Amino acid sequence: MSQSTVVTTAPEPSVWNGGRSPYNVSYGKMMMWFFLLSDALTFGALLISYGTTRFFSTVWPDANEVFKSFPFLGEHNVPLLFVSLMTFILIMSSVTMVLAVHAGHYGDKKNVAKWLLWTIIGGICFLACQAWEWTHLHGECGGLWGSFTDPNTPVSSFAHFFNPKSAGHILATDPEVAMRATHNFFNYFFTITGFHGGHVTSGVIFNILILVNTVNGVYERRGHYEMVEKIGLYWHFVDLVWVFVFTCFYLL
Amino acid sequence: MSGHHNTNSIQHLYEGDQSKLYSGVMQHHGDVNSAESKSQVARIWKIFWILLVITVTEVIMGMFFSHSMPKGVVNFFFLALTILKAGYIVAVFMHLGDELKNFMVTVLIPLVLFVWFIIAFLADGFFWLRMNNESPARSQIEHVAAAKK
Repeated sequence: MSQSTVVTTAPEPSVWNGGRSPYNVSYGKMMMWFFLLSDALTFGALLISYGTTRFFSTVWPDANEVFKSFPFLGEHNVPLLFVSLMTFILIMSSVTMVLAVHAGHYGDKKNVAKWLLWTIIGGICFLACQAWEWTHLHGECGGLWGSFTDPNTPVSSFAHFFNPKSAGHILATDPEVAMRATHNFFNYFFTITGFHGGHVTSGVIFNILILVNTVNGVYERRGHYEMVEKIGLYWHFVDLVWVFVFTCFYLL
Repeated sequence: MSGHHNTNSIQHLYEGDQSKLYSGVMQHHGDVNSAESKSQVARIWKIFWILLVITVTEVIMGMFFSHSMPKGVVNFFFLALTILKAGYIVAVFMHLGDELKNFMVTVLIPLVLFVWFIIAFLADGFFWLRMNNESPARSQIEHVAAAKK
């Protein structure tokens, strides 16, 4: 009995009896989703830990005060503008990624390569922005992790991170509390954005590999561009995490 | 054997790139310039504009209104908008909305547990703060420190 198509035409056997994928997805795609779930839980644990620490602190640095610089604009007071640009860049790269996936669905090799290239450029721009942000904050903290631990630190070196209306009282009477909060804030900031940045970096590297494969015709020969879809899932996950990090650190 | 289709024609696929079996589910064999394809691209750009508007709204709220409105209201808006963004990205960009319903559920249910995760730990942090501020031991230490000054 020969069949011309893969799917059986006999009465549909039970979905869970083996021999077929119960969800009609390939193993690779399903495992990518499961990996993203586990990674989401890891990032979730980090962000929730940040939330817990913040909730048990009497005061906490105000995002509008910490993040108000912009490259090439000196000491301009433009709160949240730079991080909005970073968010826009990452969302843009997500759009170019989904356009690459779309081109892959139609077997359009040229456009897959084009949109993958734009996604890579977007990722590199985001990393450059993040590197600037870190360098700038490094200058303000005198270090990355583990800053603001010396009890003899003058209040002026961290007082400007706080909103004077809500934290002025504590800064005057008990600045050690504010210094501890600053220390915690920057520890979490560098850890979480660093971990995210590591994901963006690995995503960019994978995208480059898959771009090379696309241009070399590997997927054309294979007959489908599902690899682009899978790395697209990873890239969108990276964007999703940034959406939540952006909300937790810069908005809430 | 009726449940298997391990015929010779597809057996080799199990050793190698198994994605060939299911890549056809989302694949299209039409023209990338067809009307169907163009409408899909248009949908992608529409979602991009929606995400952009939501982000700009969030930033404007963060810059100008985060100190004038009650914190609970502001936070609720931020969270709601963020989850909206996440929903669009997962459903449309990641194509989860195009998968079988059971697969969607498999992916989303662990994330529902997140809600409990968040509430439990934030409540924990809040409890710690109250405990630290109201503990009798702390006020004793403060008395001793004040007496020493």
